[in-house]
Amino acid sequence: MNLLRRALALTALPAILLGAWWIASDGSTSFYFPPLREILAEFGETWTADRWAADVLPSVARLGAGYGASCLLGVGLGLLIGRTTWLMHLAEPVLEFARAVPPPVLVPVIMLFAGIGDTMKTAVIVSGCVWPILLNTIAGVRSADAVQLDTAAAFGLGRTRTLVSVVVPAASPRIVTGMRQALAVGVILMVISEMFAAQSGLGFAIVQFQRSYAIPAMWSGILLLGCLGVALAALFTLFDRAVLHWYHRMRERSA
Amino acid sequence: MLEADGIGKDYRVDGAVNTAIDSLTFQVAEGELVCIVGPSGCGKTTLLRICAGLLAPTRGVAKVDGREVDGPPADTAVVFQEYGRSLFPWMRVGANVDLPLRRLGLTRAERRERVAEALGLVDLAGRERAWPWQLSGGMQQRVAIARAVAYRPRLLLMDEPFAAVDAQTRAELEDLIRDLWHRLGVTVVFITHDIDESVYLGQRVLVLSSSPTRMQAEIHIGLGEDRDQLATRSSPEFAKLRGAVWKEIQAAKKGGGE
Repeated sequence: MNLLRRALALTALPAILLGAWWIASDGSTSFYFPPLREILAEFGETWTADRWAADVLPSVARLGAGYGASCLLGVGLGLLIGRTTWLMHLAEPVLEFARAVPPPVLVPVIMLFAGIGDTMKTAVIVSGCVWPILLNTIAGVRSADAVQLDTAAAFGLGRTRTLVSVVVPAASPRIVTGMRQALAVGVILMVISEMFAAQSGLGFAIVQFQRSYAIPAMWSGILLLGCLGVALAALFTLFDRAVLHWYHRMRERSA
Repeated sequence: MLEADGIGKDYRVDGAVNTAIDSLTFQVAEGELVCIVGPSGCGKTTLLRICAGLLAPTRGVAKVDGREVDGPPADTAVVFQEYGRSLFPWMRVGANVDLPLRRLGLTRAERRERVAEALGLVDLAGRERAWPWQLSGGMQQRVAIARAVAYRPRLLLMDEPFAAVDAQTRAELEDLIRDLWHRLGVTVVFITHDIDESVYLGQRVLVLSSSPTRMQAEIHIGLGEDRDQLATRSSPEFAKLRGAVWKEIQAAKKGGGE
């Protein structure tokens, strides 16, 4: 019963919106806004196994590579900077600046040295994803409780064990928050990077459809992109629950 | 076991030097249970952090086992006041107690045995799988004590460990500390702002002056080994000692450390 209610709550609004779209667009004769019926029919025809292999998988692979590299780089550098006071004071203004630069403007720059291949696209994703992870990791490390650190020091835990057993777990709620923000940024940059000089990918496919006036196919690509975003967010929630289950349960208790 | 030799600590606030601790000299013998009391803001916690090697003194030296403290000394465990912040919420109770043991070169079975034994000593046998935040405040502080006990320190430093628990729990925990001290033969330095607690627990009470802190007085507690929350606390000797400590603290407040 409870499960049913939750499933209902989760799907109710999307169902209503899709229904409204369906009804409102049903009699549409506009070339640019075809009926949802047509878009969904096109969906099955457009996104065949071949297209998945040619466009969807390369996109997801680039996103995975860029996002994975961002996590490693962001957490690694974040721990180093967060634990080294002088480095942190040195890096802070630079980080604030770098984070304020909108990543898409870097695409032409990155193309200059990384070419137009997968390296460029991965680099674009990293250039945007790394900041939320890095800044949140630094903030998480800085906010580690003084008593917890004193406890670790008093028992002579040593640098590595303190880092692994105390600093990283203490910072983990913030790190996960950064990773969640970065995932959304990553999907956007994946699409944008594929709109520049690409031969494959979801962003490339959508631009192709638009240029060849295959409007229902273009809309179906946008729908697929949305579904990909939802699926990734759901996967991330599973990851969050697994890594931070202690944190969520502790907060449920104190609430 | 523990020696403070002219320990002093200054803090710099906006360029001005603020002397928190002027000069403190005292000794704690092996196996002793010494309480340190003083008016609030007299630098008790600062003193403990210096002894624990968490803070460097401006003047003087702290020595544990004759060796100068220049970092956390071996065989020393600390129990902090803020149990909720000194236990790690991402680890279960067993893992919390186990963490300091992991650098001691013990086998997994030895560690598990020590954890179980320590939890048994604080009346939390079999609670390894619980999470700290599932336990009451008093139980959490007992986990922190078990963590210190499992480490088998020779010197146990306690910084107002019962200041944040209710009165009944506090009485139970005081008896627990007396009991553990008897059983384990560990040297205990217990910091508190509670005069009754210092008299009830200690063999000796060191009274600190207010800041800039010096030694105000040293009072021997001749209450005998077996202490009882009801009988001991209502005895005339207890009242006399309590009065003596109280007077010294009043004098310390008035004297302002002069």
